[in-house]
Amino acid sequence: MASAIEPVLQGNPRAVDVAAIESELSSLWRSAAEDPALKNAVMRACALTLIIYVESEESAQEVGELIADVTRQNPCRAIVMIVEPDADSEGLEAWISAHCHLPTAGEKQVCSEQVTLRARGEAVGNLSSVVLPLTVSGLPVHFWWRAGRFSPPPYFHQILRITSHVIIDSARFPNPPFDLEELRAWIDQSPGAPVVTDLNWARLTPWRSLIAQCFDPPERRSYLSRLTEVRVEFEKESPRVTTQRTQGLLLAGWLASRLNWDFLSHDSLKGTEGDAYIFKAEGRTLEVQLVPQEFKGAGSGVCYSIELWADGLSPAVFSFERGADGKAVQTRATVPGAQPIGRTVRLEVLSEVEILNDELKLGRRDHVYEETLRMVARMTAGRRK
Amino acid sequence: MPETELSPNPLREGIRLGRTPEPCVMVIFGASGDLTKRKLIPALYYLTREHMLPAGFSVIGCARTPLTNEGFRAEMREAVKKYLNLPDESAAFVQGFGDGLFYIADDFGDPKAYDQLKSLLDRLDQERGTSGNRLFYLSTPPSFFPVIVQHLGASGLAQPKYPGKSWTRIIIEKPFGRDLASARELNRIVTEVFKEEQVYRIDHYLGKETVQNLLVFRFANGIFEPFWNRRYIDHVQIAVAEELGVEGRGSYYEEAGLLRDMIQNHVLQLLCLVAMEPPATFEAAAVRGEKAKVLKSIRPISKERASEFALRGQYIEGTVAGRKVPAYRSERNVSPTSTTETYAALKLNIDNWRWADVPFYLRSGKRLPKRVSEISIQFRRVPHLLFRGAGAENIEPNILSLRIQPDEGISLNFCAKLPGTTMQIRPVRMDFRYGESFGAVPPTAYETLLLDCMLGDATLFNRDDAVELSWELVDPILESWRQDGQKGLAFYPAGSWGPAEADDFIERDGRRWQRL
Repeated sequence: MASAIEPVLQGNPRAVDVAAIESELSSLWRSAAEDPALKNAVMRACALTLIIYVESEESAQEVGELIADVTRQNPCRAIVMIVEPDADSEGLEAWISAHCHLPTAGEKQVCSEQVTLRARGEAVGNLSSVVLPLTVSGLPVHFWWRAGRFSPPPYFHQILRITSHVIIDSARFPNPPFDLEELRAWIDQSPGAPVVTDLNWARLTPWRSLIAQCFDPPERRSYLSRLTEVRVEFEKESPRVTTQRTQGLLLAGWLASRLNWDFLSHDSLKGTEGDAYIFKAEGRTLEVQLVPQEFKGAGSGVCYSIELWADGLSPAVFSFERGADGKAVQTRATVPGAQPIGRTVRLEVLSEVEILNDELKLGRRDHVYEETLRMVARMTAGRRK
Repeated sequence: MPETELSPNPLREGIRLGRTPEPCVMVIFGASGDLTKRKLIPALYYLTREHMLPAGFSVIGCARTPLTNEGFRAEMREAVKKYLNLPDESAAFVQGFGDGLFYIADDFGDPKAYDQLKSLLDRLDQERGTSGNRLFYLSTPPSFFPVIVQHLGASGLAQPKYPGKSWTRIIIEKPFGRDLASARELNRIVTEVFKEEQVYRIDHYLGKETVQNLLVFRFANGIFEPFWNRRYIDHVQIAVAEELGVEGRGSYYEEAGLLRDMIQNHVLQLLCLVAMEPPATFEAAAVRGEKAKVLKSIRPISKERASEFALRGQYIEGTVAGRKVPAYRSERNVSPTSTTETYAALKLNIDNWRWADVPFYLRSGKRLPKRVSEISIQFRRVPHLLFRGAGAENIEPNILSLRIQPDEGISLNFCAKLPGTTMQIRPVRMDFRYGESFGAVPPTAYETLLLDCMLGDATLFNRDDAVELSWELVDPILESWRQDGQKGLAFYPAGSWGPAEADDFIERDGRRWQRL
């Protein structure tokens, strides 16, 4: 005989009274333990509370599917908030569901809870009072802003007070120069602000690691202080073009902040649709070009190439180019007096869930990111509308 | 494991993808062997794939088998496909990995081969930017260790190419010697050529995630250390069981036996991690120092009294996992009158303030019912049983189990009340399993250890004194068994948990083996 609660354990939401969410969850697990059809084969697990902010039901459904994957590596109580302050009617509704996984055949299913809250009209102001008691005591609280510009309204103040980690994705920022600066201001506003993770920054980490590795050999270190040009090419006419433009800004800001460049000016890059950012460092001028290009490959990833040129009596070039299959990058270092060294490196485009899972485990303050944001703010100061 | 200081590359700051060593070349002596294909190359491939190895990292395989570079590369690419389950791997990436592999046919005793090796290393420094850093890996039969080490010394390859800037290290596989005298001799030969800080004696058990987690468990949680001592612990059991037999390695096993193959290294290392004092810092010198202190504190077992503290067995024909298997003496290259042990159980006492009167029972064997390695810490029973008649009289004491393999994890057995109006008690088990809790595949032991060695972190490798101390402990037992010959050798059917005498061995102390 099929279990009556099995649909809920498979992620299908059940509507519950907002005032009775916790008792409904307890009842769900008691039923799971007692249900003969389930044969005592479920176990609840929780390592954190994950609060997710979305602005529509469609986004909530998308997130529901993602949470099923997140809970495999990060068992949690997920609280999805659908926030619709401009809805025609006012109301607060709740649903519960669970995501269960079978880690090994013959073992119990490991299940994580999901609570979905939909707040419309002025009821959005009541969300904190519902969410706060639902956070699992003693475990960290992560707040995932899965929407555009990060601008938490005042009624989220209490939630953010207990949050140790805020996750955003600058790929969703509609106006990167403006939105990155807003984020920077929010982070800098108080020393007690939670740790902020940018999934878009995490997408850049493998690239940054490749570039950093290039300069690991001590004999190559001196080229860092002789760089004169950096060119970042990204896919033109792509739904992801905002992602890549933001990534280009972050990459430029990262290099400039790590290598102590002073920003001088911005200009359009002649003959392209790209931008040129001019810096000064140790008596020389550097140009960082962010250039959209046609992507001729057939891979699933974005076309991305980065070149760093070091001038001097003998110039050197360090390049990184994603291959056509989107899964590997060809790196090449051409330095005077040595054979060019190239290799093919695996660099798959990570999914949102993969990046999120890693960041949920790490969740540490990233000073390099914060300094990068400050540099990007200086770079884009004249372009913010 | 603790971060080793990297060169101050400003771009490195804040990159959380892991530690990357400096560019280097790994030279594998014995590269045509099984270990290279099954473990070393797959580990190096995976590290490369995960961006843990620097650009230009190269491997030179040295073995007596005649092969070209292309032949070696083809074999290693096949090994990667066979031993790593990566169905959607980019062909370009696999190809690229192979481009960093090179091969020299070397009969280990020919000085010309080392000249050839030196030339190739210099060429790779130029062509692949390996910066003069070399890691020599001895994966040959132990009889070749001395000649290889001596030739590395004579050819100048043992010294760093750029003193103060580059490094040269050597990893030596177990077994490190076959007894105390040979271990001392090998240490002498090695340290005549290499400094101790260049030497990495590998025990792959120490690279396993759960073994490392044991240190985290003990020293990152405040609640366990207060009762990690004789006041609360009754005894400790360490079991390393294998269902495999000698798998065609009869000639090796006849010379080794289980005490040399497992107990002298893996099992004693596990004991050290359980019994050691907290180190002052989490650096190699401090951790290894505490482990050596444990070995020094173990009460020596004399040859004359070996039978009181050690027991050996040998499997006869039986059934394992539903399959009939032959007796040890019927295995290929095993003498029909062999007295080599395939099972051993030891009782050790650690004479220090923490562990006095807490016996450590070690057991290991081949052709046991299943493959499992587990540390069981059995706590003392409650001093006074309140709940008489509640089923409590037969309740097992609390046991903390640390499972090393398979299915790594930690569990605690304790008592709970059954729901109801009467007081009925039953044991329950609280489990933490790596696979469920983190959902990620942990690195293999070789991935961890190779990376650590390239980073210069010796925490998980054995120091010279620890190797000699462990031989000092088992030598009298080996000598006693050698003299006794057949006498005292107990037999057990393959597929059973060992000889009946092993049960008597622990039951005479009023205890019994943990059911695995």
